[in-house]
Amino acid sequence: MQCGGFRVSYRSDERIFETYTPIVAIVLLLAALCTVPLFATTYWLDVLNRIGIAIIGALGLNILIGYTGQISIGHAAFLAVGAYATAILEAKAGLPFYLAIPLAALLTSVFGLMFGLPSLRLKGLYLAIATLAAHFITTYVIIHWESMTNGVLGFLVPPATIFGFPLDSDARIFYLIFALVVPAACCTKNLFRTKVGRAFIAIRDRDVAAEVIGVSLFKYKLLAFLISSFYAGVAGGLMAHHSRILFVDAFTLLVAIDYLAMIIIGGMGSVLGSIFGAAFMTLLPEVLKLSATSLTGVYPQAFGLIASTRDVIFGLAIIFFLMFEPQGLARIWLRFRNYWKLWPYSY
Amino acid sequence: MSRQRNLPIRFLIFVLLGVSLACTPAAAQPPIKLGNLVDLTGPTSEQGKDIAQGRTDATQYFNEQGGINGRKIELVSVEYGFQPPRAVAAYKKFVEEDKVLLVLGYGTPDTEALRPFITKDKMPYLSGSYSGHLTDPKQTPYNFPGGIDYTSQIRIFLNYVKETWTDASRKPRLAFICADNAYGRAPIESGRKYAQQIGVDLVDEEIIPTVLTDATSQLLIMQKKNPDFAYINTNTQWVPVVLKDSYKLGLKTRYVVNNYGIDERTPSLAGEAGEGVMGIADIAYWGDDVPGMKILMDFHNKHHPNDTHYSAYMRGWLWTLLAVEAIKRAGSDLTGDAVKKALESLRDFDTWGLTPPFTYTADDHRPTTRAKLYVIKGGKLVPMREVSVDRDMAWIGK
Amino acid sequence: MNEHVVFMLQLIITGIAVGGVYALMALGFVLIYKASSVVNFGPGELVLFGAYISWATILQMGLPLYVAFPLTLVTSVVLGLIIERGVLRPLIGQPLISVIMVTFGFASVIRGVLNMVWGSDTKPFPALFSSEPFHLGPVPVSPVHLWSFVMIILLLGGFSLFFKFSLTGTAMRATADNQQVALSLGVSVKRIFALSWCIATAVSALSGVILGSVRGGVDFSLADLGLKVFPVVILGGLDSVVGAIVGGILIGVFENLSGGYLDPILGGGVKEVAPFAALVVILMLRPYGLFGKINIERV
Repeated sequence: MQCGGFRVSYRSDERIFETYTPIVAIVLLLAALCTVPLFATTYWLDVLNRIGIAIIGALGLNILIGYTGQISIGHAAFLAVGAYATAILEAKAGLPFYLAIPLAALLTSVFGLMFGLPSLRLKGLYLAIATLAAHFITTYVIIHWESMTNGVLGFLVPPATIFGFPLDSDARIFYLIFALVVPAACCTKNLFRTKVGRAFIAIRDRDVAAEVIGVSLFKYKLLAFLISSFYAGVAGGLMAHHSRILFVDAFTLLVAIDYLAMIIIGGMGSVLGSIFGAAFMTLLPEVLKLSATSLTGVYPQAFGLIASTRDVIFGLAIIFFLMFEPQGLARIWLRFRNYWKLWPYSY
Repeated sequence: MSRQRNLPIRFLIFVLLGVSLACTPAAAQPPIKLGNLVDLTGPTSEQGKDIAQGRTDATQYFNEQGGINGRKIELVSVEYGFQPPRAVAAYKKFVEEDKVLLVLGYGTPDTEALRPFITKDKMPYLSGSYSGHLTDPKQTPYNFPGGIDYTSQIRIFLNYVKETWTDASRKPRLAFICADNAYGRAPIESGRKYAQQIGVDLVDEEIIPTVLTDATSQLLIMQKKNPDFAYINTNTQWVPVVLKDSYKLGLKTRYVVNNYGIDERTPSLAGEAGEGVMGIADIAYWGDDVPGMKILMDFHNKHHPNDTHYSAYMRGWLWTLLAVEAIKRAGSDLTGDAVKKALESLRDFDTWGLTPPFTYTADDHRPTTRAKLYVIKGGKLVPMREVSVDRDMAWIGK
Repeated sequence: MNEHVVFMLQLIITGIAVGGVYALMALGFVLIYKASSVVNFGPGELVLFGAYISWATILQMGLPLYVAFPLTLVTSVVLGLIIERGVLRPLIGQPLISVIMVTFGFASVIRGVLNMVWGSDTKPFPALFSSEPFHLGPVPVSPVHLWSFVMIILLLGGFSLFFKFSLTGTAMRATADNQQVALSLGVSVKRIFALSWCIATAVSALSGVILGSVRGGVDFSLADLGLKVFPVVILGGLDSVVGAIVGGILIGVFENLSGGYLDPILGGGVKEVAPFAALVVILMLRPYGLFGKINIERV
């Protein structure tokens, strides 16, 4: 059990895990995760897949908002670009998914760069509104560029294949998704040990001061948008493969708000927060659906009433967290963990 | 300290949720499960509410009658806000988790998108979507539209225009006004071809957003082409907006609305703008003098006499009736294939008089090609005449 | 008159009429921002609330207009108080993103509650104005639009006078400028916040009533119009009452002109996206809008 820190080098200061125990725990967790598809039903695999995709998207958004302090409501648009780009590259250019997804993510980051340009002139609220506009313009283009995207009718995505082995079931896609979630989380954590990461945090805390000490706002703000949209592009590409059909309706403004809720409820500026937030926001509607279905079995006439509680509970969850725990689930977890770490002592 | 205050509250919330999850009633013999997809919060929620109520009521009615061959029917209901991705997720759940026997589907965008999965899973899918793309068993063997398809409806409209046109000096001019989604666009292509085939002039196509607040600019564009007739293919919630804007602009165009665009509320919502507007009715309106109406009204009076119901409610009953009949005919063989064949065995099936008799065959999943044409006169829906097109196989699946 | 000119005039006049309604909604937004610097990302839901309450009082309960109307206003004022007290006050001092999210949050709650209580089908709205259009030259205009326009001008006049000459109005402007100084001068900032939210919700309720009359029905699509408020307030200036009205009209006209001319070329849906395209341009060229106060950041 740890009792304070004793560091003798910069290297040891930068370590993510102080002892070996968390590392062992994480490895065991990952191993357990690998065995999940063997016994879980397709429904729960589907939920886990969606959580995985949401984690990658939330990590990206957290980099932008939680660490760099730039407000963006356009995340759904980036996901859409990533998803459609992947689908179009595979369906029309015949690329295999391991080329299509990275390429689509790169395209998305260029796209994100474009919409990051206003951030150089605008701050806070104005940036938020600019990204709102970006969202609607993107949606419009996707709907009306019918020759490429099939418009409102939906775009059928061919299944990802590795050496002829199609990844067309939830169980198989599970491995692909979590094979990408782990590096995404590691990369994010490492990003904030580097110069780039520290520059981001500086910009969030006091951008004028950051500029004074030599952090180029131009370069780093755009870089933040670039990286964040790259993550969104990957998440979008995985969405395309997971749901197999792409509709513009999967990328409404509500999706962007969902992601915002994920990082706020989960905890801004923390990798663990993104993971918790993603899991929470994905599970919330599922739990509601399950209780709705079981309650409907008892009270069939109440179905309409129960269906509209989704909005109410979503809103209340956001308000509740913002009022009582602004630093999110990550903070709650941290308190919980510290309590048990030091038990039976209180500090 | 604050953390100790928060923990009990959170714990309580989780306990409550857990208790509600555990509240699933146990059944004697396993019930027959039917998937139920509805929109209660999205752009078609106005009808969705009645459809959901109709399906729920019909299920309760049939259960009170003893169920199907002694087994109770259970609806697994999912609300999806007319968002196709949620429908796809719900469908997956129906197939793999709940193992439903048949799905009572809903909207065109999601039904059309699910076609390859439905065919692969051999899941009989009785949809609220009447898209022409669902009528060809060679392409979509397990999809069954629950009423006269949109392509047949647009052909009825075009035939009507041609028949009633008296000016010999020129061809009648017409326009399509369609919602910007798979449902609104479903019959456009066939409509274009058929218009060309019978020799009427399609001068304009206007696309209106799914959620419509103002159609003035689109109608102004249409006005330039001055069509004599226009076909509106959107939902009941939005049709009055088109009609009112048209009335305000003083357009002389005569409108025909498809089955999902007109119901008992349209005359009062559209007001003076609704006079002379015609609509295609696929099903009886509430209170119509048909044999089935008594059953519905009795149920309504017994269980929720204070509600009002519109044609969508009847549709909910209709589709449940079809599903129950098919499952009854499948007897002890409760597989997707057997139910599909049972549906295809319906010949001139009497739907309690709510619609013209339904016939599904192994080559043709169009249940009927007959409908009624109504006109709004004096603020009320007045039946004009029966209309129909022939079961031309050239239009199947289009 | 030349056909093309008539077409354009029709689009412009429709735009002005529609813009009047946008301006009314934007006014609610501007009032909140002006006094408390809080951005309301759920203006549509407040409008929806007003529309539903007025429907309920007029049609469901059958109350006469002179009772129903004040009742609607009172209920929305109460809603404004609840929001301000219960939700926004605990969040004073929190980062902007939290405030934005909380407005999304209660917008969601309002929407859900309205759906639960009244359901999602369209309720026919009583025709408060006749629907016979009257003609402005070759262009027909519906009386509802005209009345909303008149109402806006009246409100513009009223609020301008209020902010300039009344003590409370001046206090509100002071609070928006610098809260701490206002506090030190004896202004009850808490009361100002509450007041601004109440006025804003009342104005939103009013726009709800007007929108309901325009549409002839009340349903959830009214809330989607709410997002159109943003191009209007950015064009006009986030804290300018005059800006809200001028911005509303300009955006309404721009939207209809683009729809009328670009729809046939681009295949529809231009009206929905044109205001946002304009928004991006405005943000790049003149982010504080036509009448907004320029925010100089002092370090």
